[in-house]
Amino acid sequence: MAISQEAYKVFKSIVGSEYISTDPVVCEGYRAGPGGYECGLGYERVMTKLPSCVIMPRTTEEVQKIVKACNKYKVPYVPYSTGWYGARSHPHVADELLIDMKRMNDFEIDEEHLYAVVGTGVIYSQLQEEAMKRGMYIVVGGGGSQVSAIANMIGDGWSPLSYRIGLPHRRILGTELVLPDGELVRMGSLALQDDPFWGEGLGPDLRGLLRGFTGHRGFLGIVTKMAIKLLPFQPERLEPTGISPHTTLQLPEKRVKWINFTMPSKDAMGRAMFEMAKAEIGGGVTKVPIFWRAIARASCKEEFWELWSKENEETISGFHLLRVLLIGFASEEQMEYEERVLNDIITELGGEARRTRPSDESWFKNADSAGMWLMCGSYVSVDYVIETIEHAIPHGENYAKLKRKFTPPLMPDYGDPGWFQSFELGHQGYSEFLVYWDPDENTDGVDQFYLETSKENIRKRFYTSLLGSHQPLYLTGPAYGPNYHKWLLAVKDEFDPNFLCHPPVPLAHDQFVERAEWMKPMKDWESPEIKP
Amino acid sequence: MLKGKVKLDVTQLENFEYDMSKCIKCKGCYWVDHIYMPGIKFSTRCPSATRYLFDSYGAYGKMRIGMAMLEGRMDYSDELLKTLYACTLCGACDVGCKRNLDLEIELALEALRIKAVKDGKGPMPEHKKVAQNIITKHNRFGAPHENRNKWLPEGIKPSPQADVLYFVGCSAAYTHPEIAQATVKILNAAGTPFMLMPDEWCCGNMLYSVGMVDEAKKLAQRNIDAVRKSGAKTLLLSCAEGYRMWKVDYPKMLDIATADLGFRVVHLVEFIDELIKKGALKLTKRVDLRLTYHDSCSLSRLSEPWVPWEGERGEWGMVSPKLERRRGTNGVYQQPRDILKAIPGVELVEMIRMRENAFCCGAGRGTLEAFPDFALWAAEQRLVEAKEVGAEAIVSTCPWCKDNFSRAVNKNGGKLKVYDISELVLASIKE
Repeated sequence: MAISQEAYKVFKSIVGSEYISTDPVVCEGYRAGPGGYECGLGYERVMTKLPSCVIMPRTTEEVQKIVKACNKYKVPYVPYSTGWYGARSHPHVADELLIDMKRMNDFEIDEEHLYAVVGTGVIYSQLQEEAMKRGMYIVVGGGGSQVSAIANMIGDGWSPLSYRIGLPHRRILGTELVLPDGELVRMGSLALQDDPFWGEGLGPDLRGLLRGFTGHRGFLGIVTKMAIKLLPFQPERLEPTGISPHTTLQLPEKRVKWINFTMPSKDAMGRAMFEMAKAEIGGGVTKVPIFWRAIARASCKEEFWELWSKENEETISGFHLLRVLLIGFASEEQMEYEERVLNDIITELGGEARRTRPSDESWFKNADSAGMWLMCGSYVSVDYVIETIEHAIPHGENYAKLKRKFTPPLMPDYGDPGWFQSFELGHQGYSEFLVYWDPDENTDGVDQFYLETSKENIRKRFYTSLLGSHQPLYLTGPAYGPNYHKWLLAVKDEFDPNFLCHPPVPLAHDQFVERAEWMKPMKDWESPEIKP
Repeated sequence: MLKGKVKLDVTQLENFEYDMSKCIKCKGCYWVDHIYMPGIKFSTRCPSATRYLFDSYGAYGKMRIGMAMLEGRMDYSDELLKTLYACTLCGACDVGCKRNLDLEIELALEALRIKAVKDGKGPMPEHKKVAQNIITKHNRFGAPHENRNKWLPEGIKPSPQADVLYFVGCSAAYTHPEIAQATVKILNAAGTPFMLMPDEWCCGNMLYSVGMVDEAKKLAQRNIDAVRKSGAKTLLLSCAEGYRMWKVDYPKMLDIATADLGFRVVHLVEFIDELIKKGALKLTKRVDLRLTYHDSCSLSRLSEPWVPWEGERGEWGMVSPKLERRRGTNGVYQQPRDILKAIPGVELVEMIRMRENAFCCGAGRGTLEAFPDFALWAAEQRLVEAKEVGAEAIVSTCPWCKDNFSRAVNKNGGKLKVYDISELVLASIKE
């Protein structure tokens, strides 16, 4: 145990002996890899460490005390909710305290004012079910049903349903944040009173500090409680059916329906998204990457590859599947109306409806992120972009070209341009580029592709939502800011002068490039010596 | 082995290196299938991780610890043994993982225990005492072997030769005779002749479950030989744990398929369900009870037949020849429910976690012996759930479950009644 005995005694006195451990077996259980998001890659191997100590607080007060003790005894720490976010949610430096938040699972729901107050240990599928029991719903982010709702709300937090509901930062209401020095910030209406019903509070809106655009991955404090806005849903139950692995939600067809459309081109898909938005119809929409379809059809890894091996450049470039969700929020008639409008739009654009199962396996309660690992045993989204549809489509195509240079080690996908969709009724366009590789082969090329995409964005003037923890800050900050990196580090310095909260984020990827031999030749930007 | 030759052989942990190394911490092993997620309450299916909380107690932690053991990075300690053995091996993690992925979690957990025994560190001291009982007295309680058939009720005589051989098991023979008695009375009522083994020994569930595979294998061979010699076509069990041993773990240890045993392995509920559906057994007497059914793990998600597999793992982790993975889909889920619904007066109410998502009673696979507090805690969790749905009684298909639920009820002074399904069926047969 490298954390001092004195510090350990203080930690133990805060939570009790049952909820703290320095045992190597317990700590090994918190290893980041070798499997998982971004795991098995150089970043995980070079940048992550085992915790020296694991502690499980129950209350915000306990979290504050722990963080204050960390500052007193100079113990670096990382908040950890479910551990899903792979390498980046695990300790990065030696002698680090991992603060496991799963015991903070308090839950309240206010049906009248449509919000739920959750602790960090509450996951999305729990929240969604509680909401749906009461005629409301949320977006279960693409991270998956199994992720902490809070962690995802301050991180990414979107899905095809964000087309209607919008991006997560708009649904964060009253929130408690334990700052890196242990002080408590109460945001939104919590700043004034105990009622967390409203997101904005007095003074500047601190939610930007909380998550930026895609989150700071736990380096600016620990969110312990959050009120999340719920949205009204249609009244009929989505009935769970089937036995694992064939479980699904049976949809009430007159109120909720997915329809798949074959479209003549990517542009037609983008156009359909615009037209839907203009007509203000639909509950969700997405372009379906072809390998998702193969995953859905395959009963095992081998069957996936059997299906996938039948594809080629031609089939991929000609595959344009648009998946639209209709929800009769107000009535069956509303959905009938929307379906007629949708069919008109699709017909005009040369599309055609395909037979679609009246069920949902992927987005309402079971955002099936784990299925992404079926194919290769590995997965990461190297970039996500929230800009416009006109931006999203060429972004994906460009990445697909770039990817050819790195295939292998990346999985052959015959030029698939990734995933795109529209958010917020067409006001935003989204692009996400997913990659897969064989984790039991040399993965240096995957690390290099990751970095090359950052450079490609700068070269081609693509916007990216990943400034900060996922890309070298001294590469992207000056290019996008021009002072983004300076601001971010100044904020970090102001709130965490001891640099104890999840070090070395936001400079972790910078440090990775410095430390991994196979990355060093790619460094063609200036940066000061990086601490710690 | 990450690539190359691989075999579903639990005596070599290396066979599961790929599976352990590919755990992604999605915790599908821990949470109830998200499609069935009931909300804030009753949302987990792993007793061990729910009780002990640290990630090391979930399969996601154990897979990492297993990798450390395999790579020689982990020394044995009390905490390591607790991590390996304070686990009901109930299979919830395995079916949860296999909803999305192709990883052999249950087999890896079994292989870890076998390695611990091979390394001279496992099992737990309490297990060794039970193992000694099994080896010397042929039952897990250390009771006199000559008392094994004392449960046999007056007026019922097993046939010297019959197609059906009833394997009673230690629990029903010694501590829960009411289950064995109900079973043979049901057979009698259906006009089904049955025989018993001339010299029944323990099935060895405890031995296999705690990793004492060499001892378990000997017992498996001995028992299988005895049934084959008897000429029985059907081996009938009223114990879910025994059912899993005979149907899955015996073939697994002996590297044969369930189909190659030479006889059918059938649980009482499968047998009764067939009798009812053929009209050979009529349940006519009212049993006025609002009850809930508990899926015993070894009858449900762990009971799919075993098929040996050996092959190669290649690029992208694919294996050849084709491997039909056991995902818990074809467990015995519906038959007990159909039986209970066929009993006049019974109102069957489902618990929130059911079928492959059920929360284990906590007793099985060495847990009760080495971690009785944990076993009791798990049973209490389940009883809370039974009360939540307003059940007057909880019914299972395994004496281990009945025993553990009864302990929990007795400890807490509750009014919930605990039954084995055989007792209710018998109560519904007109005398």
